[in-house]
Amino acid sequence: MSTSRATPPDAAVTKPDPATLVAALKRATPARTPYTEVRFSGMLDRPLILHGELEYSGPGRLGKRVDTPYKEQTTITDGSATVQRGERAPRTFSLSQAPELEGFLRGFTALLGGDAASLQRDFELSASGTSAHWQLQLKPRDSRLARRISAIEVDGAQDTPRCFRTHEGDGDLGVLLVDTLADTKLTTRPTPGQLDALCRGIETR
Amino acid sequence: MRLIRSRRSVFVLLSGWLLALAALAVFAIHGLHISTDLRSFMPPPQTPDQKLLMDQIGEGPGSRLLLLAIDGAPETRLADLSRGLADAVRKDAAHFSLVVNGAFDPAAFDDALLPYRYLLSPTLDTHTLDASYLGDQLQQRVEDLGSPAATLLKPLLARDPTLETLVLAEHWSPPKPPSLRDGVWFSAEGAALLLTETRGAGFDPAAQGAAIDALQAAFHALPDVGTAHLEVSGPGYFTVMINAKTRGEADRIGAVSTLGFIVLLLLAYRSVPSLLLAALPVLSGGLAGIAALALLFGSAHGITLAFGFTLLGVAQEYPIRLLSHRRAGEDALTSVRALWPLLATAIASAAIAYLAFFASGVGGLQQLAVFTIAGLLVAGLSTRYLLPRVLPSRFRDVAEIPGIATAMRLVDRVPRPRWLPWLLLLVSLLALWRAPGSMWQNDLAALTPVPQDMLIRDAKLRGELGAPDVRYLLVLKAADADAMLALSESVATQLDALVAQGALDGVELPSRYLPSAATQRARQAKLPDRATLATALADASRDLPFRTDLFDPFLADVERARSLPVLSAEAFAQSPLGTRLASMLVQREDGALGLATLSGVHDAQAIEAFADTTQGHVRLLDLKAASESLVIAYRERILRALGLALVLLCATVVVALRSLRRAWHVIAPMSLATLLVLVVERGCGISLSLFHLVALTLAAGLGLHYALFFERPVADAAEARRTLHATLVCVISALLVFGMQALSSLPVLRAIGLTVALGVGFHFCLSILMARERRR
Repeated sequence: MSTSRATPPDAAVTKPDPATLVAALKRATPARTPYTEVRFSGMLDRPLILHGELEYSGPGRLGKRVDTPYKEQTTITDGSATVQRGERAPRTFSLSQAPELEGFLRGFTALLGGDAASLQRDFELSASGTSAHWQLQLKPRDSRLARRISAIEVDGAQDTPRCFRTHEGDGDLGVLLVDTLADTKLTTRPTPGQLDALCRGIETR
Repeated sequence: MRLIRSRRSVFVLLSGWLLALAALAVFAIHGLHISTDLRSFMPPPQTPDQKLLMDQIGEGPGSRLLLLAIDGAPETRLADLSRGLADAVRKDAAHFSLVVNGAFDPAAFDDALLPYRYLLSPTLDTHTLDASYLGDQLQQRVEDLGSPAATLLKPLLARDPTLETLVLAEHWSPPKPPSLRDGVWFSAEGAALLLTETRGAGFDPAAQGAAIDALQAAFHALPDVGTAHLEVSGPGYFTVMINAKTRGEADRIGAVSTLGFIVLLLLAYRSVPSLLLAALPVLSGGLAGIAALALLFGSAHGITLAFGFTLLGVAQEYPIRLLSHRRAGEDALTSVRALWPLLATAIASAAIAYLAFFASGVGGLQQLAVFTIAGLLVAGLSTRYLLPRVLPSRFRDVAEIPGIATAMRLVDRVPRPRWLPWLLLLVSLLALWRAPGSMWQNDLAALTPVPQDMLIRDAKLRGELGAPDVRYLLVLKAADADAMLALSESVATQLDALVAQGALDGVELPSRYLPSAATQRARQAKLPDRATLATALADASRDLPFRTDLFDPFLADVERARSLPVLSAEAFAQSPLGTRLASMLVQREDGALGLATLSGVHDAQAIEAFADTTQGHVRLLDLKAASESLVIAYRERILRALGLALVLLCATVVVALRSLRRAWHVIAPMSLATLLVLVVERGCGISLSLFHLVALTLAAGLGLHYALFFERPVADAAEARRTLHATLVCVISALLVFGMQALSSLPVLRAIGLTVALGVGFHFCLSILMARERRR
């Protein structure tokens, strides 16, 4: 894995450096984007598709609003997550109760914060593609996290990530489409293969 | 020749004595178990409340709770420490039976208990496992799978799609739980809060000290403790803290006054060997007392021993009398023979008087009597038969000390109007009649007060944790454990109404943890059979994305729950989840008692009024009132014993002196002086406690000596001067030791010190005034 910071200015044709890639992802806070999330689970015989908005407001702080098919607001701050659903009382739980979740969210917000150093503490990074269509792969270093999450793949173009694919240890897969991909029309039962192609930009525009 | 042989025999005798003391000490230390449990000190309980108090004192669910707060680090760090400490405490089953910090511990539900969740949870009282309820639940689970909580809930989902285990965990959290942050309880100030229940009794300082040490050790063994610190509060902590403080101050005062005492004796007798040897009779008496307790009882309460050593203070007078009454040209044995009849009278009358304590029937008082009688007899006999034989033959006749003659003249010149004692008596009775405040202090805890700031901190923590009140318990009485649980269920709504009215903040009923068999059966009857449930489930998940056979483990669990035998209180109390119930359940020969804890009691009368409507099935137990009634009962027995002791004492003195008139001169000043102490203390608004009574008894014992010796007809002026010298040494040493205690900041030491110091002063003055009167 390369951690070299001395990257040539023209990285378009060479293999992209993950640290440089990550550093370029830094968003001004608060950063908002619509999203479409598709979850494939062994418990479900068809994927769960959610639409809503993500809000990144600084390291360790993330908001996720679900608009359809139901309404929900999740707020993650300082190591705890609060889930508010309709009129029900909010439920709060600690991320350290689920270290895998904590590691995942740390990685996720470090990515949005462009914080390559902290990302590399938790994950092994590798990159491929070109600056127009790059791919970043995150493999958890912590074995407990690795048991729950085998890898996170991020696809993007220039300084914008567009697709996050989370491969969970039990075979479940979560695909998060953001930015320009968020509004993609999907079939009612998309397959992981279709989404894979979508993320890699094979079928885009 | 005689001198040489006597030297050798002195050496042999002294070595033998010291060896015997060493052997006695070894026996006493190994033979006597010193108990710190208040129960071994208290009188036998009479009322049902007292009986329950004796069972529950320090063992009730409330008093065994320690409140913990972790502070001094960032919140997420504190939450980790809270979880780490809870894990460590959970493993320390020797000290703790329970620990809660707000975090849900799914591991607590073992496989065997898991199907019982539908019988334990109130869900089925209001819902049925039909298609509409399951549909609503499953829709929520879909949403859960889409949320970050998915990883947490996925392991539970297939077996428990209604998340009944979480419902139960919530149902079992305290009535008013603190706010959950980062998954654990936090105070408003941002400290992580935990609650532990110790195995040891709340008022047992040894057990609580060990538990608190274990807590601190476990806390500091956690990784990255850093600047964080653990604060402990609760009855057990107070017990430990006060015990240490009392012991520390008593030791300090003891050290200073012992030093003063040594200087005083050196000044009085100018002889180091005499000083060292004079300590032997009291030492012998103390060890003999402990040995007697070890032989007869095997154990004694710490307070009994403290009282005993206080009362044994009289014995220090015996060697002092012997040292002061030695006359020039006479060996110590001859001196002691002249002194013995009077000394024997004093010892015998005191020992006979303490027999009254033995007859009291109170364990603590009987032990006190055995200790004191054995101690006084051994101290007296060793002063008579051993001490004179080992004292150095060279000494100074105190009658020749110049100052003594002057003092004697002063004492002789004091006017002694015969009306004065009567006037004093009259004024005393009037003053006692008009004295402010209540006569008796019934709250033993008032003598060992917990510092105000600690009480405030405790109340704050207690409020935040919703931890139960230590003072009140609701006692549910029924024929057996299940009937008690049914009773608990039947009163729940009325108690909730009382909570709504504001009479109290919360109640924790045993049925919250385990429903009665009837309720469990009713819930069981509502569970659908496998086919019905499968149909309902298929119906409910028709439009949902769940895999068809996903919930098979759920179907199996419900099927098992349908045929389970209901969970009994005994079985549940054995399980890790049942610890809370176990501490609320008392099995007795005549049935079962349930102890419901109350928190934030504002209106005890309203709760009492409700309890009155239950035909005695539910009672509000006021632990404070019950313990005060025990103290009153104890005091009544002490007073009765003291009355009897006074009669025995008078009879012994009359018989020994063979004269009513002479006996009067001894007993009158002693009685009046005791009365004067009472007048002064009551005049200052001091309420009298057991400790005051014991101190009064010691002072009276000392006063008896002063009066006896002043009253004694003496052959010459030199002997009168020796008596005065001996008495002065005794009075000054007692004032020194007890005067120091009177200055203590601790009420219990102050009570003893002030009473004895005042007593010694009054006894001395009145003995001069009244006992010597007739002799001129």
